[in-house]
Amino acid sequence: MTTDVLAARPELVEHRATMLDGIWRGSGVPPRLLELARLRVAALLHDEVGSATRTPVAVAAGFDEDVADALPSWPTDPRFTPTDRAALALAEQFVMDCHGITDAQVAELRDALGDQATVGFLIALALFDGFSRAATVLRGF
Amino acid sequence: MSTTPRLPSAIEGRPPDLRSVMAHQPGLQRDFSVLYGTFWSHGVLDHPTKEVARLRNARTTDCGY
Repeated sequence: MTTDVLAARPELVEHRATMLDGIWRGSGVPPRLLELARLRVAALLHDEVGSATRTPVAVAAGFDEDVADALPSWPTDPRFTPTDRAALALAEQFVMDCHGITDAQVAELRDALGDQATVGFLIALALFDGFSRAATVLRGF
Repeated sequence: MSTTPRLPSAIEGRPPDLRSVMAHQPGLQRDFSVLYGTFWSHGVLDHPTKEVARLRNARTTDCGY
């Protein structure tokens, strides 16, 4: 969680919380998909705290811990749907090199989620990536 | 990287760009503006230093926007 490391800037904590609440409750992206992406981004960035955290909205929606355990095997594990795979492939590429994202990858996600939720998913990735990096730097682990 | 927009504008009559595509999520767009505005209007770093960091980040990610 980044709340602790941003404690010196309470106004940022508040606005960040508002934005994240909009992502989780109002973006139209299923909480399960958001949690999968958030956890994958955290793992790629070696954000140990983010990886160990579970988002209450996702848990309340029935997020399955077995799926979290299987996340490193998402390309082949049958528990992941084609939409999961489209979103996770895009999330990984977003973190590693966003210029490597292809037209086909975006089109696949648009087909699955629609335009509004696709935009919401990309904004979510930006937040997950940015704040995970910031938290890791500020914590030092 | 594609040179054609991958998502349509959500604003009638306006071409797709960052703002018009983000308009598919007006609530998030508003919340982002508040958060981003707070970064710029609060804190101890002066604006030139923040701008250097922003530009460096944009160049590193090859963001033409």
